[in-house]
Amino acid sequence: MFRSYLIRTCASSLLLAAGVAMSATSTLAEQLIVDGSGRDVKVTDTSRILSVGGDVTEILYALRADDKIIAIDSTSQFPGDALQKKTDVGYLRALSAEGVLSTNPSVIIASSDAGPPPVIEVLKSSSVPYVMVPDDKTPEGVANKIRFIAKVVGLEAAGEALAKDVERDFALLAEQRAKITKPKRALFVLSVQSGKATIGGAGTGADAMIQLAGAVNAGASVPGYKPMTDESGVELAPDAILTMQHGGGGMHSDRIKTVPSLAGSPAMKNGEIIEMNGLYLLGFGPRCARAARELMAALYPELVQKKASAAE
Amino acid sequence: MTSEAIPLSGSRAGKTHRMSAAQVIIGSAVLLAVAIVASLSLGPTGITLSSLPRALSAAISGTTDATIAREQLVLLDIRLPRTLLGIFVGASLAIAGAIMQGLFRNPLADPGLVGVSSGAALFAVATIVLGNGIAAPILAPLGIYALPVAAFFGGMVTTLILVTIAGRHGQLMIGTLLLAGIALGALSGALTGLLAYASDDRQLRDLTFWSMGSLGGANWPKILAVLPFGILIALLTPLLIRGLNGFLLGEAEAFHLGINVERTKRIAIVATAASVGAAVAMAGVIGFIGIVVPHIIRLLAGPDHRVVLPGSALFGAALLLFADIIARLIVRPAELPIGIVMAAIGTPVFLHLVMKRGIGGSE
Amino acid sequence: MLTAHAAAFQINGKTLVSDIDMAIPPGKLVALVGPNGAGKSTLLKLLSGEIKPTSGAITLDGRALSSFTALDLSRRRAVVPQSTALSFPFSVREVVLLGATVPGFAEPPEHIERMALDCLRTVGLLALEHRLFTNLSGGERQRVHIARALLQLAMAKRAENEPGILLLDEPTASLDLAHQGVVLEEALEQARKGLAVMAILHDLNLAAVFADELVLLSAGRITARGTPAEVLKDDVLSRAYGCEVRTNRTPSEGVPFILPHYIRAR
Repeated sequence: MFRSYLIRTCASSLLLAAGVAMSATSTLAEQLIVDGSGRDVKVTDTSRILSVGGDVTEILYALRADDKIIAIDSTSQFPGDALQKKTDVGYLRALSAEGVLSTNPSVIIASSDAGPPPVIEVLKSSSVPYVMVPDDKTPEGVANKIRFIAKVVGLEAAGEALAKDVERDFALLAEQRAKITKPKRALFVLSVQSGKATIGGAGTGADAMIQLAGAVNAGASVPGYKPMTDESGVELAPDAILTMQHGGGGMHSDRIKTVPSLAGSPAMKNGEIIEMNGLYLLGFGPRCARAARELMAALYPELVQKKASAAE
Repeated sequence: MTSEAIPLSGSRAGKTHRMSAAQVIIGSAVLLAVAIVASLSLGPTGITLSSLPRALSAAISGTTDATIAREQLVLLDIRLPRTLLGIFVGASLAIAGAIMQGLFRNPLADPGLVGVSSGAALFAVATIVLGNGIAAPILAPLGIYALPVAAFFGGMVTTLILVTIAGRHGQLMIGTLLLAGIALGALSGALTGLLAYASDDRQLRDLTFWSMGSLGGANWPKILAVLPFGILIALLTPLLIRGLNGFLLGEAEAFHLGINVERTKRIAIVATAASVGAAVAMAGVIGFIGIVVPHIIRLLAGPDHRVVLPGSALFGAALLLFADIIARLIVRPAELPIGIVMAAIGTPVFLHLVMKRGIGGSE
Repeated sequence: MLTAHAAAFQINGKTLVSDIDMAIPPGKLVALVGPNGAGKSTLLKLLSGEIKPTSGAITLDGRALSSFTALDLSRRRAVVPQSTALSFPFSVREVVLLGATVPGFAEPPEHIERMALDCLRTVGLLALEHRLFTNLSGGERQRVHIARALLQLAMAKRAENEPGILLLDEPTASLDLAHQGVVLEEALEQARKGLAVMAILHDLNLAAVFADELVLLSAGRITARGTPAEVLKDDVLSRAYGCEVRTNRTPSEGVPFILPHYIRAR
C-alpha cells in the first residue's frame, strides 16, 4: 500500500511540475474526429475542455493539457489536485445537461460511461462538440485511447510519446508474465454488504487487470459485476482476493472477512488480500500497466522484482 | 327533537377552518404559474426568460449566432421539456396518491408506500433488460411508448393484486393493505434485483436511474411518450370524483349512495396505474409527492374530491417543479437526484401526518 | 314495496339466513330483533341490495332487487350503517351533503345546500353544521348519518307510488336513554311521513315502544312476526334467545316490557 502511495505522490508531483512548466497552448486548426461511437465530430477550439471520466482526465494531465481543462467529473480523482482546482460537474453517469453547458466548455471529451443517455443526446445536439473516447480494456486499447485524446487536443507528439511509454510498460509486463509458471486464482471483490460479496466476473475491468497481472480470474464464470452466492464462493476458492481501497483505509479487507463462503479459501488462510486504489486499478489510464505490475508483484512477490517503471 | 340533544352549542371546539374550493384551486394555479416561470428562468447557465423571444425566433428561422443557439438549446430543448415533464410527473403522482387514498380510505396510501411504484419500476426495468432479448417482439413495435406502457401494466398488476388481497372480505382492510403493499414492494424490489443480475453494465446504468428519480433526462420524445397518458388521466379523473367521495364513507355506503362501486374501482385502478406508470417510466421513483400534496390540499379545503383531485394536480406539479429547481441549482453544475430533495421536503410532513392522525387515519 | 320471498343466503356452505318472507310497508316502522348471530345484519344487507340472496328473491315493487342499478336503488332506499369510521376530516355539513352525491348530482348547489340544512335541522344538529364529524359523540354521529340518508331520499326524484325506504342498522347502539328515544322518534316520524322504515334493534323494550311491527329472527329464520304484543311473549322469546324470558306490561298502556332482573331472579 505504501508502495502505491509513493508512486502516486511521485507521479503527481512530477506531473504537477511539468504542468506548471508547460506554457505553449497551440492554437488548433479545425479538425474532424471520428469518435468512439463512430460519430463525426468537428473540433475547432480545445482551449476549454470538459473532461468526463477518471481515465480521460488522467490522460489529459499526463499530456500536460491540464491548463486547458476547465471542468471535470467526480470520478476524476487523479491527479489529486484535479478535483480541487477544476469545477466538478458531478458523477459521470448522472450528468446534468444544463449544468454541463453552464461550465461553457469549447469541447467535451467523455468516457463511454458518461450518462444518462438522454442527457448525452441533448449534449450531442448542442453546438459544443461532444467527443466520446473509445474504450477497450486491453493494452492496445489504452495506447489507442491516449493517441485518440492527444489527437483531439492537438498534442499528437506528446500523445505518441506517452502511448509508447505505456506500450513499453505493457511489454515489460508481458515479459514478466511469461515467467509465471503456476498462475494464481484471484478474485476481485467490488463490495461487501451484510456478508454478501459482489465480485468481478468475465468482461469486467477487474477481469482484464487480473489477467494482465498473470493470474486467473476466479470469478470468470459469471459475466459482469455480480453478487456471489455463498456456495459458489466456496467453490471459487481463490488464492488471492483483490479489492479497492476505501477512504478509511483497512475497512474493506475487514469486511471481506465477514463473507462466510470465502473464510475457508486459500486467500483468507494465507492472508492474501490485496487492496488497490480503485481508479489506479480499474481506470485503464496511463498508469494501467504499472498498476498491473504492482498487482503482479503483490500476487507473486518471489517472481517480480520491484523496478522503476519505464514511464518514470 | 329535544333540547338536550344539542350539546356544546357555545363551544367552537373542532370547528372547521377552511379555505373555499375556489381559493385553493386558484392559489394552486398561481403557485404553478410561478413555478413554471421559475423553472424556465432558473438554471446553472444563468440564461433567463428574457432570451425566450430570441430563442423562439431562432427556432423558427434558424440562427448562426452561437450565443442564441445556446439559448435556444437551453430554453427550448432542456428547460422547456424538463418543465413540462415536471408538470406531468408532479400532477400524475399527486393525483395517483389522492385516488389511492380515496380508494383505500387511508391518508397513508401512497403509490410509493404500497408498492405500486415498485411494480411499475419492475416492469420498466424488465423492459430495459429484456427489451432487446426475449421481449423484443412485443416491445419493439411500441417504440418510445414501450417503457411507459410496460410501467403502466406493472402499476396495474400491483394495484389489482392489492385490491384483491386487501378487499377479500368485501371491504378493504387497511392493515392488510399496508402489509400486502410492503410485501409486494419487497417482491418487486427482489425481482428488479434479479433483473439487475441478468443485465449488462450499460443496462445497469439505466437501472440505477430508476431508483434515484430525476427529471434530468427530459427531452421532447419523452414528452411525446407521456402525452397519451396525460390525456387518459385527464379524461378518467373527473369520472372518479363522485365515486371517491362516496368511498370516503365506506365501500358498502358508497353502494348505498348509488355509486357503481366496481366501475369506480376499475377506473381508479387504471387511472392510478397510468399516472404512476408513465411518471415512473419517465422520471424514476419519486416518493412522498403522492402523500404530501393531497394531504395539504385536504388540510386546506377538506376531503371533497372536487377540490382534492384538481387541487392536488396543480399543487403537485408546482411542488415538483420547485423541488427540481432546488435539485438543479444547489450543487450546480452537478445536480441532486430529485428524490433526495422530495424526501427532505416530504419526510417532515409525512411524520406530522403519522403523529397527528395515527396509522389508522381516524382520530 | 320491499319484499323478501323465501330468501336465503349461504356462504362457504354455511346458511346465514333462510326462508325469509317479509315486507316493509310504507308508513310503518319495522323492528328487526333477535339474539346475536341470528342473521339480522345479513338480512339487512339482503334487503339493501348489498348482497344477493343465494335462493329465493328480494323484490322492490315486484321487480328483483338485483336488476336495479346502484343508481336506481339509491333513489329508493337509504341505509344508515351501524358505525362508519371516517378516515378524512369531513365537517358535519359535508357528511350530510355526501347523501346528495349521486341523486342530487344535477341539482343546483344552492338547492342541495338548503335541503341538507333542512335534514340537519330535522335531526336537531343544525348548530353543529361546521363541526368536524370526527369530533362528535356517538349519538351525534348516528344522527348525522340519518340526516345524510334523509337527504339522499329527499334529493331523489320519485313518483308518488314510489315511497322511499330507510334501513337502519342498530341506530341506538351505544346511545344513552335520551338519545335512543331521539333517534327512534325521528325514525318513527319519517315512517309517519310515508317512508318504509326498518331498524335493527337490540333492545326489545325500545322495539316494543316504537315499532309498528316486530320481526324476530333466530338462527337465521323468522320465528315470529307481528305487533309487539304478538311477538313479545314469554315462550316465543325464551325459545328465540335460548333462555327463560318473562315479559310484563305497563299498567296504563299495556306495552310489553322485559326486565333483566326477572331473568336473574330465576
